[in-house]
Amino acid sequence: MIEIDDLTVQFGGVRGLSELTARLPEPVTGLVGPNGAGKTTLINVLSGFVRPTTGRVGIDGQDLSDIAIHKRAAFGIRRTFQNEQVVENLTAADNIHAILDNVPTDGQPRAALIAQALEFVGLAAKGNVLGRDLNAYQRRMLEIARAMVGRPRLIMMDEPGAGLAQHESEHLRDVIRQLHGHCGAQVLLVDHDVDLISATCTATLVLDFGSAIAYGATASVLAEPKVRAAYLGVLEDAT
Amino acid sequence: MTDQSLEGAPPIRAARLPLRGIALGVAALIALYVIPDALSNYWLRTFISAAALTIASLSVSVLFAQVGMVSLAQFGLLGVGGWFALRISHGLGVPFEIALLCAGVSAALVGLIVGLPALRMRGLYLAIITLMMAGAIQVLISAFGFPDGGPGILGKSTGARLMMARPLIAQSDEAYLRYAIVVTAVCYLLVLAHVRGRPGRAWAMIRRSEVCALAGGVDIVAYKVWAFALAGFLAGVAGAVLAGGVGQLDGSAFPASQSIMLFALTIVGGAYSWFGPIIAGLMLRAFPALLNDFRVDGNIATMVFGIGLLHALITAPHGIAGQLSDLTGRLRRALSGERKAGP
Ligand SMILES: Nc1ncnc2c1ncn2[C@@H]1O[C@H](COP(=O)(O)OP(=O)(O)OP(=O)(O)O)[C@@H](O)[C@H]1O
Ligand SMILES: [Mg+2]
Repeated sequence: MIEIDDLTVQFGGVRGLSELTARLPEPVTGLVGPNGAGKTTLINVLSGFVRPTTGRVGIDGQDLSDIAIHKRAAFGIRRTFQNEQVVENLTAADNIHAILDNVPTDGQPRAALIAQALEFVGLAAKGNVLGRDLNAYQRRMLEIARAMVGRPRLIMMDEPGAGLAQHESEHLRDVIRQLHGHCGAQVLLVDHDVDLISATCTATLVLDFGSAIAYGATASVLAEPKVRAAYLGVLEDAT
Repeated sequence: MTDQSLEGAPPIRAARLPLRGIALGVAALIALYVIPDALSNYWLRTFISAAALTIASLSVSVLFAQVGMVSLAQFGLLGVGGWFALRISHGLGVPFEIALLCAGVSAALVGLIVGLPALRMRGLYLAIITLMMAGAIQVLISAFGFPDGGPGILGKSTGARLMMARPLIAQSDEAYLRYAIVVTAVCYLLVLAHVRGRPGRAWAMIRRSEVCALAGGVDIVAYKVWAFALAGFLAGVAGAVLAGGVGQLDGSAFPASQSIMLFALTIVGGAYSWFGPIIAGLMLRAFPALLNDFRVDGNIATMVFGIGLLHALITAPHGIAGQLSDLTGRLRRALSGERKAGP
């Protein structure tokens, strides 16, 4: 469970998050909101890149402020990036290996873990391909594979569906649906694609101007008038 | 479309490996037996220095190509390694190998200090601060000079200067060149073991971005420090090889400008390729010697290097080694195209 208490993040004069309090217990939770609502900022606080101005975040009862940034991966906090971060001069397999170096493997052979993860995201044939030779879609999938190895507790995905073709989005959707069952991690999914959120997330948190304006079962939350007011205007722009 | 090109990748790789192995084996045989046999004393010494500078260039390329860090202090660290090698060899009379290792370790420690700013700085600022370190080393070395068999901590003799003892198995210039080439090969293996292993993967993540590395659980401080220590070790070993080759070192031979030259030629040679440092080592020592042979002013070399650097910066970011491998790649494709078309 993700616990967010009275979280405020101030960037100079701009408020990234404003007195946000939430409990997110569902295995797959959506996080939506218009551009600049603070979605990436929340992910950054959870992964440690942004320090909260006030308030705290925790996972399964553990306060995250006690855990150094580079130790959070081993603790189980994993993510993908809005701007993809695949290592170009490592092969797909070594991209995953680089993470396995720093997270618990429970004594399982690394090669097997890598093969499993690649298989799961549909990159089984690409293990020896360098990151620089992967296309945008394969890079997104590789980021997911990196995030799921080695006992993750929370996998956060920042707009994994952006810029994908139709059949690619469908594959992504299947992967996200099976992710929790496959590795046991809670999934926090940020995306502007309402279809993707509806199809994968049992609950959804809506942010606007850094505050929560709605939380609940995905379908009912997305139907709320204030959510539509805050959100749909942007959607019309985006599509 | 992309898929096709991807599936094409593994077979090319598999076909390339034995070819590369054979090429390496042949090159090693030539380097170890044919070249030393055929050379005059002057050229033997030139190639000994070139081997040492290949190791030095390797140390620059570890930092630059693996971690994306610029250090302009590596030639200064050569001087540090040389100093400790001479001091230990003259003072304790230990075998050359021990002096070599001590030189590596002490330059690694100094390299660590040079690298400390790297934990906070990047890019141009890091380059400038490491250059200042090179300047500090230059001042110390030119003030105190290199040990040459005298007493005391500085080891300066007032009478005749002693030569550093060479390895027992490599007393002649010819044998010492072979020895230097083997040391160079061992240094390459050391770097290869790092690059293929956990440090190499962590470095690659850091080079991608610090955000990527942190999210992947990489302890950035530790791996940057380790890169500087490894690079310092290599520079120290290079300094010891140089000291053993010449027998003594000159206090004025390690100015900060040489560190810039070493960095520039590593880029020109090709920091991203295993072959690049060899090209850099040859350019730094063999090329001026060649000009000298033809009675051309050695300063021409500096001009040629400047042009080479401009060329590298503008058109060939992967240096001469990158261009060579492009060329062999094109040749190989042309050949295999013919073979396919033939039968
Ligand atoms: N490092 C930063 N420095 C200053 N302001 C920032 C920083 N990061 C985010 N902000 C600001 O905080 C607010 C929230 O940004 P955030 O990136 O979290 O939005 P988002 O919901 O992810 O938007 P998008 O859908 O466009 O990705 C924005 O106004 C943004 O300009
Ligand atoms: Mg965002």
